[in-house]
Amino acid sequence: MDTISLIEALVDRPLLCDGAMGTQLQARGLKPGQCGEEWNVTAAARVEDVHRRYVAAGCDLITTNTFGGTDVALARHGLAARGREFNEAGARVARLAAGPGRWVLGDVGPLGELLEPWGTISSATAGRAFRDQAAALLAGGADVILVETMSDPQEAAIAARGAREAGARLVIATFAFQAAGDGFRTMMGATARECVRAAMQGGASIVGANCGTNLSLADYVRLGRELVEAAEGHPVIVQPNAGAPRLVNGAAVYDESAVELASCVPKFLAAGVRVIGGCCGTTPEHLAAMAEAMRRHAAGDRG
Amino acid sequence: MTTLEQLSEAISLGKNKDARLFAQRAIDENIPPAQIVDHALVPAMALVGERFKRNEIFVPEMLIAARAMKEAMTLLEPRLIAAGVTPKFTAIIGTVQGDLHDIGKNLVATMWKGANFRVVDLGANVSPAKFVAAVQEHRPHLVGLSALLTTTMPAMIDTVRAIRASGASAVKIVIGGAPITQQFCEEIGADGYAPDAGSAVDKASELVAAGAIDSPP
Repeated sequence: MDTISLIEALVDRPLLCDGAMGTQLQARGLKPGQCGEEWNVTAAARVEDVHRRYVAAGCDLITTNTFGGTDVALARHGLAARGREFNEAGARVARLAAGPGRWVLGDVGPLGELLEPWGTISSATAGRAFRDQAAALLAGGADVILVETMSDPQEAAIAARGAREAGARLVIATFAFQAAGDGFRTMMGATARECVRAAMQGGASIVGANCGTNLSLADYVRLGRELVEAAEGHPVIVQPNAGAPRLVNGAAVYDESAVELASCVPKFLAAGVRVIGGCCGTTPEHLAAMAEAMRRHAAGDRG
Repeated sequence: MTTLEQLSEAISLGKNKDARLFAQRAIDENIPPAQIVDHALVPAMALVGERFKRNEIFVPEMLIAARAMKEAMTLLEPRLIAAGVTPKFTAIIGTVQGDLHDIGKNLVATMWKGANFRVVDLGANVSPAKFVAAVQEHRPHLVGLSALLTTTMPAMIDTVRAIRASGASAVKIVIGGAPITQQFCEEIGADGYAPDAGSAVDKASELVAAGAIDSPP
């Protein structure tokens, strides 16, 4: 779909992004430690099934299964050479499942290693990795590039810039925050304001938060408010986790129910957040409840 | 300020050149290298851990302090070896099987080294069998398990079980990582949970101190 219309659509109404992918793939047989992105090629039907469940739940934005799809991240699986193939296939399967009227977000996660001077990855290497991934995602049919779960504003800026250089007309950038004193910081110590500024300088037009460590739903709402203030009129996206995981019969279980997440939707919207979705532990059921809450909100029931 | 205080301050503020300068000066003043470690490096990194826990500093500041500590250590290490001084406690650390993330694990390893533990880093995606083999080889006081993904949390259960079953009952196991909680730690029978790299030092010191009293490995 035309990416300008995503910004236009956001003027009319808030939009719903989708929820977690990794846990959904594991429910369909992906083994811990296995490369999830490889499934875009080897088990595309199962990836498509996850996308379709989020479409059926009422999500407007469908995120590709390419979070660890940079060459740098794939190298940990010994699959760096397959980057283009996995990303293109990931975008294609998401595009197919999304159908008309929905946007495909080409997902770009962190490199998983720190940039120089803290780590060993140079800006040039990072820029190339992000640019290559974005180019493959766009070639496969992604409408927008979503740079997400970032901790280092510099890395986010490089990723956003790489996406723009690859031809992305719209870039969304989101950061993982933790509570720190009275406010929120990323692992690298960046405030919401610093993150927003860096992302925008890199060329992102929609900014926000996803994932995060030990944040309550009330924290996410407060964080959303802070981001809206920092974004100075640009749309803000928040994708919370479904609480902190607990272990039940050997599997991680998230306690925050669909009802609780849905009850936060009006609070996010009141805070000025324009795109809402889910991160770790969220399921199509969570997203369906959130979609219903958005419909009720739009119909004027602000309770 | 004494030379050791100056060295300590240089490290905690991440000043590389000063760390080297004051470490050399301490050596020139004939302060035994073990004392330099105990009275300058360890307190400096303890302060860094405290400030990290209080959210006064973040990962970058912690990393530059660690770099300054390493700078001082390059001068001290040969002298420690020559004097036959070895760290009192050994720790093994790794990210559990199926999980390829190592930024958090590396931070904890660095902070443990800063607390003068000998640290054996097994890397990421470490199988329970590999943990057990390393425990048998190095006879550590402490094992640290890291996981970032909720989907690899179950690998922690298998690893704790395997280490206990191997007969290394005295070794203390500390776990951590973004999705980990105290409740999870209790459920899987680990000895301690640390929410961040600063707390990981406190938890390690607390556990080895307790272990030193009731059951030396």
